[in-house]
Amino acid sequence: MESNSTSEFSSEPTQPTPPVAESFTAARTDFSRLTTAVAAIRQEMGKVIVGQHDLLEMLLTAILADGHVLLEGVPGVAKTLTAKLLARTLDVPFSRLQFTPDLMPSDVLGTSVFRPNTADFEFRPGPIFASVVLIDEINRAPAKTQSALFEVMEERHITQDGTTYPMQEPFVVLATQNPVEQEGTYRLPEAQLDRFLFKLNVGYPTLEDEIAILQGHHAGFGGTPLEVVQQVLSAEDIAALRRQVRQQRVEPKLLEYIARLVGQTRAHKGLYLGASPRASLALLNGAKALAALRGRDFVTPDDVQFLAPAVLRHRILLTPEREMEGLTADEIVKQIVQQIEVPR
Amino acid sequence: MASFWIRWGRVLLMLLLVSGAPASAAPTPSPAQTAQAASLPPVRLRRPDPEQLRDFRAQRDFQYVEVRSEMSPWDLFWSRVWERVGEWLSSRSYHGFWRYVFYALFLGALVFVILKLLQVDITGAFGRNPRRAALAYDTEAEDIHALDFPTLLAEAETAGNYRLAVRLGYLQALKQLTDAGHLEWQPDKTNLTYERELPAGPLRTAFAEVSRQFEYVWYGELTLTPEHYAHTRASRQALLAQLSD
Repeated sequence: MESNSTSEFSSEPTQPTPPVAESFTAARTDFSRLTTAVAAIRQEMGKVIVGQHDLLEMLLTAILADGHVLLEGVPGVAKTLTAKLLARTLDVPFSRLQFTPDLMPSDVLGTSVFRPNTADFEFRPGPIFASVVLIDEINRAPAKTQSALFEVMEERHITQDGTTYPMQEPFVVLATQNPVEQEGTYRLPEAQLDRFLFKLNVGYPTLEDEIAILQGHHAGFGGTPLEVVQQVLSAEDIAALRRQVRQQRVEPKLLEYIARLVGQTRAHKGLYLGASPRASLALLNGAKALAALRGRDFVTPDDVQFLAPAVLRHRILLTPEREMEGLTADEIVKQIVQQIEVPR
Repeated sequence: MASFWIRWGRVLLMLLLVSGAPASAAPTPSPAQTAQAASLPPVRLRRPDPEQLRDFRAQRDFQYVEVRSEMSPWDLFWSRVWERVGEWLSSRSYHGFWRYVFYALFLGALVFVILKLLQVDITGAFGRNPRRAALAYDTEAEDIHALDFPTLLAEAETAGNYRLAVRLGYLQALKQLTDAGHLEWQPDKTNLTYERELPAGPLRTAFAEVSRQFEYVWYGELTLTPEHYAHTRASRQALLAQLSD
């Protein structure tokens, strides 16, 4: 039994929305299918992993919001394992790519091979053709290979020899990277970072979780095979849940609130590069999915504030002066959140 | 053949010079000098009189005591600094190149102070400029302490605008909780943040209920019937009643 819980979200324990008077919730959206599925996924993943509840919530939010996730953390905090486990709970094609410095775009996307018997070229799809694609150590591949992901991550298709090949639904990229190792790594281009819905910082486990990991390992559960994890959601289920999420209510003032938050990143003196309108869309879509996961059919400012660091931290660039002062992107995002009035 | 003899002649000359050098460097004393040295009396070593030394030691002038400065280390530091600066200003190097450097620095500092006083930002004139854009909307916060809640609530209820009435009622609850010292009103705080500020107990439970109702009505755009509104008003009044207890 392995893994941990994220430090990023531990200060904000997530709670399901308390029930409101029956008359208020009548004739509202039914999220029972989603609630049941999430509980089942948690149970299946809990067979192998300890903690990671909040990380799992964020990953599910990303899947419901049709977004990609960049997981960043030091080695050994179960980034890859969590992603693999989540993929196993989904009854969809899964592939894993280990990014290396000599990886070529064709190793990811696929290539056309010549068929002598037909005297024609045939496209052989690469490992990107799956529903859940786990890219391990994404920052170990050079910019040339990273660029190959631009089109597929944003437009959900690739173009090879003038022919466009669409991805199947759902299509989610879960990428991992190590923040401390500099040797043999490349910083991801801003254009690619912007294509990730969330960047999640995976921290060390809490003391209780680490003790639980040790206890489980000592008792002989350390070698629990991933095969014990059952599939919970099919591609059709995910598509139906996504349709439900898209119909979430968002009060107009909240749209303005999101625009103000993201707009402030372009006006903040401590930032050299602010977030793009794609960040606004990411914040909106993420908030809608998170609200659904928490059993609501409408978005609240809490959802927006909760997701703001994960959506914005990889999309902003600090000025050299602020970096030298030791400020982080998360601290700037926190300052921005404190500057904007919550619509009420 | 001639060059052979020339070469050997040079070598021979060098040998003669080297072998003759010490003889010329150390002149031999003459017999008269030797006789004069023998006639001098032997050297006698004289010692100071110990009694005289004791007398000297007893005198105040010869009692050397380290004089301690009455200045603090900080004053001493600045004294040294200004002393050095004075030395530097009176030196020859200052009157050359460094005088103009000093003038330039002084002028720069003066311009900086003036720009700061005028609140002029010229950072964009140098190097990379942070991408800034003026916000095209008003960011002023609504002040709950400036609103006349009873009047506004009565107007909204009379008009049948229950959505607005729920909002005003919630803001009123926030104001009264702030006035009572249970919450600290900040425009950037969410309802959940306020909820967490309250200690666990009946007050928090009642506030959580009112918050959820407000969220369903305001953010969830729930259309209220008079019966629904009566329910929310009862919840709010129950919360406020706890404050007046």
